[in-house]
Amino acid sequence: MAKPSLLGLLLVAPALAMIGALFLYPLGFSLAAAFTEPGGGLSLMHFQKAYELYSTDILFTLFIVVVSTLLTALFSIAIAGILTLGETPWLVAALRALYRWPLFIPFIVAAQCMRTFLAKNGLMNNSFVALGLMEPLQATSLLDWRGIIITFVWKQVPFVTLMLAGAMASIDRATIEAGRNLGASRIRVLLELVLPQVGQTLLVGLVLSFVTMLSVLSVPMMVAGSQPTMLTVDMAFRINSYGDYATANALGVISYAIAGTVAWIYLRHSVKREVQA
Amino acid sequence: MRRSLLAAGLAAFFLSSAASAQTLNVATAGDQNMVDYIKDYLGPLFEKSHPGVKVVAVGTGPGDGGSQKIFEKLDAQKQAASASDFDVVVIHQKAAGTMVQGDLLKKYRDVLPTGKLVTRDTATNSLGTDVSGYVMPMFHSQTAIAYNPDLIKNPPNNYAELREWVKKNPKQFGYNGIKGGMSGVAFVTGWISAFGGDPAKLEKGPYDAATKATWDKAMADLKEFNQNVVITPGNAGTLDMLNRGEIAMGPVWVDMFYTWKADGKLPPNMRLKLVSPGMPGQPMYYAIPAKTAQEKLAAEFIALATSPDVQAEGIVKRFNWYPGIDAKNLEGKLDQAAWNQLFADIPPDTLAANGKPFPIGPYFNDILETYEKKVAN
Repeated sequence: MAKPSLLGLLLVAPALAMIGALFLYPLGFSLAAAFTEPGGGLSLMHFQKAYELYSTDILFTLFIVVVSTLLTALFSIAIAGILTLGETPWLVAALRALYRWPLFIPFIVAAQCMRTFLAKNGLMNNSFVALGLMEPLQATSLLDWRGIIITFVWKQVPFVTLMLAGAMASIDRATIEAGRNLGASRIRVLLELVLPQVGQTLLVGLVLSFVTMLSVLSVPMMVAGSQPTMLTVDMAFRINSYGDYATANALGVISYAIAGTVAWIYLRHSVKREVQA
Repeated sequence: MRRSLLAAGLAAFFLSSAASAQTLNVATAGDQNMVDYIKDYLGPLFEKSHPGVKVVAVGTGPGDGGSQKIFEKLDAQKQAASASDFDVVVIHQKAAGTMVQGDLLKKYRDVLPTGKLVTRDTATNSLGTDVSGYVMPMFHSQTAIAYNPDLIKNPPNNYAELREWVKKNPKQFGYNGIKGGMSGVAFVTGWISAFGGDPAKLEKGPYDAATKATWDKAMADLKEFNQNVVITPGNAGTLDMLNRGEIAMGPVWVDMFYTWKADGKLPPNMRLKLVSPGMPGQPMYYAIPAKTAQEKLAAEFIALATSPDVQAEGIVKRFNWYPGIDAKNLEGKLDQAAWNQLFADIPPDTLAANGKPFPIGPYFNDILETYEKKVAN
């Protein structure tokens, strides 16, 4: 192995300094602030306050993000499966052209669109009523937890699909054809032959989506009312209305813990595979 | 904290690099309409009377959070012993008290030619803190219940009737909780004033930390009340839902209500009702940071902004706010139609009786926090 050269160290120094100054330092600072009481000693008082005020919101956040991740997985597998195994050329072509679009739309714009689309008398319900599919009285507003989930899934499916379809395209076609020749249905080929080979990619995509959704502020703020709401909104509220960074940091640590758990599952999984390989 | 300081520093860098000697930086908290008011109306007016001066308006965000950002920046600049690059700030009541106590503002009102035109006690007392001399009210704004008269013939007259009405008409009343803007906060503090005991003590003090324990019943009732209401996303969210007919009633800011109506974003038949025992309103204040380099220009800007002509044309007529200076100074400056429109739904005597200040700072925080603990969680 080559000795680390001084030049090499110099080359990475700016990047390391950036990470240190803009990521590690603030992270350490917020961790420390979350565990420090006003006098300076260590304490869990901010966590107690966070729990007293926001225990419902913590559960609500977990629920939203977990459900959204599962739905994202379901839709991405379906779309990537059709792209890989589909036998109707025009459908595959249309899907391929369309599915990426939400990738280019920021969360806040998506939230703004959903606000008018999913409202009780919004575009979606009005279209259903105009088509005769629904009576006006049956219309309900989806601008609550369902709206958040719909927006998240709509936004994250293309991202996971993009990764998944790429991985599926690069696996050995012979395995698929062998399965088909032996009489397996396309669903079975997808679930038993294709998916196991791209499981790692799916997991990466879902972990990244999970963490992204956990950190979005605009969607819960704009789409749904504030009771209950997601942790990001609570953090913004603590800071904006009270300048209460301590409780906001405690909520942040809870978010890290949730994101960290997912990252840990992912790391454990990939280490296991590396050992096997 | 550090992260926001860094952001503020970056913003300051861009501001100062764009600034020439004769740039007046006006930082304003509040909704977009506040920025629009300075950028589209007041700024150009001032530039016309002061050739060579450029007015730059910066919005720092809605609600107390916007004022909090201004406070953090001025405070950071004070601690760094550097000059402030905001020359005029437009802030809410809560922050005004904090900034006066932290010596971040100049005492300028007594030398201002328009300083004597102010009569409301909010110019001297901001949520329990003595701010006389440091601030000039830009306008006064008021919350009230907006309703659709096609659906509601006899709107409730007070909070108790409203509670009964909501019980009989579930999901027809909507408000935005306390995290989505001040109209929801105003509704909640009004609720505590109505059902939580002594409202005079909440408005004037003295503060007693034990008081919040007496709100348990009112908060429990509010939680039950919330079962039958729609929680909307924000001040504009309530108006949106009123407009689409998804709710029939909800608390709104009077100025936003009239502006939306004038823009055709609300049906013209919508009405307002200021229920008793009262709902809060608040002024926005003009203030001058203690360490601005443009003190004279800033004072001239505020003098123009609080002159009877500008108050009549800009504040009342264009933006539907109540004037910051005493309304009698506006006589003759405003046509009768504009005047009548401002007081059509809420006559001056109702406004005087039911237009309340927000509770003093510590009670205000206690109400919000108790709400989070007992009602929202």
